[in-house]
Amino acid sequence: MNDTIIQVKNLVIAFGNFKAVNDISFEVRRGEIFGFLGANGAGKTTTIRTLCGILNPTSGQVFVNGTDVAASTAVLKPHIGYMSQKFTLYPDLTVRENMDIAGSLYELTHTQILNRTEELFQFIGLTDIPKGPVRQLSGGTKQMIALAASILHDPDLIFLDEPTAGTSPQTRQAFWELIRRLSSQGKTIFVTTHYMDEAEYCHRIVLMERGRILATDTPANLKAIYFPQKPIELTLTGGNQQAVAQEMRRLSLGEVSVFGSKLRVNVTDHTAFENYCQKHKADFTTRPVDPTLDDVFLKAISGAK
Amino acid sequence: MNTRAKHIMAIASKEAKHIKRDIFTLSVALVLPMVFVVFFGFVINLDYHHIPLTVRDNDQSHTSRELLTQASAAGYFDIISAHTPLEAEEQLQQNRMRGLLIIPHGFHTAFTNGEVAHAQLLIDGTDNTMAALATTYMQGIVQATQQALLSSHEPPTAAIRTRYLFNPELNSRWFIVPALSTVIIGFLAIILTALTVAREWENGSMELLLSTPLRPLEIVVGKLLPYFALTFFDVLLVFALALLVFRIPFHGSFVLYLTACLFYIMGALALGLLISVITRQQQSAIQFGFAIGLLPSFMFSGFIFPIENMPAFFQYVTMLFPQRWFLQISRALFLSGSGLIDLIGPFIALFLFMTGMITLAIRNFKTDVEP
Repeated sequence: MNDTIIQVKNLVIAFGNFKAVNDISFEVRRGEIFGFLGANGAGKTTTIRTLCGILNPTSGQVFVNGTDVAASTAVLKPHIGYMSQKFTLYPDLTVRENMDIAGSLYELTHTQILNRTEELFQFIGLTDIPKGPVRQLSGGTKQMIALAASILHDPDLIFLDEPTAGTSPQTRQAFWELIRRLSSQGKTIFVTTHYMDEAEYCHRIVLMERGRILATDTPANLKAIYFPQKPIELTLTGGNQQAVAQEMRRLSLGEVSVFGSKLRVNVTDHTAFENYCQKHKADFTTRPVDPTLDDVFLKAISGAK
Repeated sequence: MNTRAKHIMAIASKEAKHIKRDIFTLSVALVLPMVFVVFFGFVINLDYHHIPLTVRDNDQSHTSRELLTQASAAGYFDIISAHTPLEAEEQLQQNRMRGLLIIPHGFHTAFTNGEVAHAQLLIDGTDNTMAALATTYMQGIVQATQQALLSSHEPPTAAIRTRYLFNPELNSRWFIVPALSTVIIGFLAIILTALTVAREWENGSMELLLSTPLRPLEIVVGKLLPYFALTFFDVLLVFALALLVFRIPFHGSFVLYLTACLFYIMGALALGLLISVITRQQQSAIQFGFAIGLLPSFMFSGFIFPIENMPAFFQYVTMLFPQRWFLQISRALFLSGSGLIDLIGPFIALFLFMTGMITLAIRNFKTDVEP
C-alpha cells in the first residue's frame, strides 16, 4: 500500500442540490505526475480542495498518505504543497516577503527560508530575486515563483490547480519541465489543467466531465483504447475542403473535423471510406496520424452522452 | 517558541507588512483620530458664550445700566442696543440675535423703592440648550447686579452658591475630550479589522492559508496584534493631546487607564474580525462595521446623550455595548480620579466583552472553503 499516496473512494461533493463531484474513485501512486483533465466546471478544483483538506466531502472517503482526510487534516497539511488557481502570491508584498510568509507558516527558520529560496530560485531558473512588489511581475514569472513558494517547505505531495492557465507557451513549457524534475526527485504531483497537450507530460490522467470521471489511464493507453484505428489526415490537392467535408459527413464515413487546410477523419465505416478515397484520388492524399488527447477527450465525452 | 506562538507571529508579521504598504489603512488609522479631536475638541463647543442679546432699555437709569454692564462683563452675552421697538423686531427677523431683554420704564423706581422690579427676557427656544443656559446666566447676572447696588446699604440676602465638582468651569471640552477615545476606538478598530479576513476570502488567499497547518485561533490572534498596536498608538495620541493641548487634568491611575484600553481595543478589534469572519465580503463587512461601530459609540455610550436621562429600557440596552463602560472609566479616571474599586463593574464588563468577542471570532472561523 506504500505505493499509493492518494486513495479516493466514491467521493461526492454537493453544494445544495448541485453535485460538483459525483461519485468518483481513483488512486494516485507515489512519485507520479497525475493529471486531472476537464473543462471549466468539471469539478477539478473542487476535488483538489478536498484532497488538500479545505473542503469537506459530502460522502465517500479520501485517504492521503494513509490518513483519512476528513478525520484529521492537521496531520496532512504539513506534508502537502498547494498552489491555488485563484490566488498565488500577495501582490502588495515583495517576493522575499512572500517567501518569508510561506516559510514561516510551516515553522521554517529564517536561515532555512533563505537557503531554500536560494535553492528554489536556481531550480526555477531565476538568477536574481525581483525587488519590487509582486504585482509588477509578469504572469509567467509570478507562476514560477508561486510554485517555489508552495514547495518551500519541501512537501512530498504537491497540488497544482491550473498552474499554467493564462501564461505564454514558453512559460508553460518551462513550467512542465519543472514538474517533470520534481517528479524525478520522487515528489508526487497532482495537477489539473484544461490544456490537453500538457496532459501528454503526465504519467496518468483522469478525464473528467460534469463531476464524473470518464476514464483513468496513461495517455498512450487512452489513445489506444479510444482509437484502435488511427485517425486519417487528408491533405487537399484539388477540390473544395468544405465540399469534401460535407460529402463525407453525408455518407457517414466518420467524424470529420477541419484542421487548417487539412481534414481529419475518425473513420467509422472503413470499406465505404476506402471506396470514397479511390474515387477522389485526385482531390487529396491520406495518411494515418496519432490521435491527440483532444481527440481522446472529445470521443470520451461523446461516448458518455 | 512553540508552534502556536510561531504561527501567531507569522500571521502578525504578515499583517504588519500589509499595513505598512496600505496607504488607506494607515491614513484612516492616523488621520481619523486627528479629525475627531479637531472636530470635537475645537469646532464643536457645547458651551455658550457671547450670545447676541438685543436690549431695549426704556428706563435708561442707573439701575438698568448697571444690569447691562454686569451682563456684558460676564462674557456670556453680547449686548446690542435697540433704540426703537421696530429696530428690535428687525434684529429678531434677521436672526441676528438669540434673545431680547426689555427693561420697562419705572424699573429703577421700583428697585429703589424696594419693590419687585420687572423686566422681560425673550429667548430663542429653538435651541433649548442655549435657552436653558441663557436663563441661568441671566439669573446670576440679576443676582450680581443686586449685590453690586445694595452692598453699600445692607448685606446681601441669602443666595445659593453652586460649586461644580471635578469640572469647576463646566467646560464641555473636559467632558468631551476624555470620551473621544471611546468613539475613535469603537469606530476605527471595527473598521480596520472588518476588512482583513473578508479581503482574504475575496482574493482567495484564505484558501491558501487554510491549506497550511494554521488554526483559526492563530489566524485570529495573529491578525489582532498589529491592529492593536496601531489603535493603541491612536489612544496614546489622543491622551497626549487631551493633556497637552486641551490641558485636561488626569486624576486617575495611568496603568488602570491602559488596562481599560487593552480590554476595549481588543474587544472592538475582535468584533471587527467577527463581522469579517461571518460576512466574508468586504462590502457587507464595511457596512456592518459602520453600523455596529459608529452608532452605539455616539448613541449608547453617553458621549452626547446622558445615559441617566434615557428610558429604563435603553439604559439596559447601553449595557450591551462596551462603549458605555469604557466611556465611564475614561471620564472617571480623567476627571474624578476614581480607583479600581469604584470601577470594578465596568472593568468586568469590558473584560467579558473582550473574551467573548475573541471566542466568537474563533468559533465562527470557517476552516473549509465551501461557498
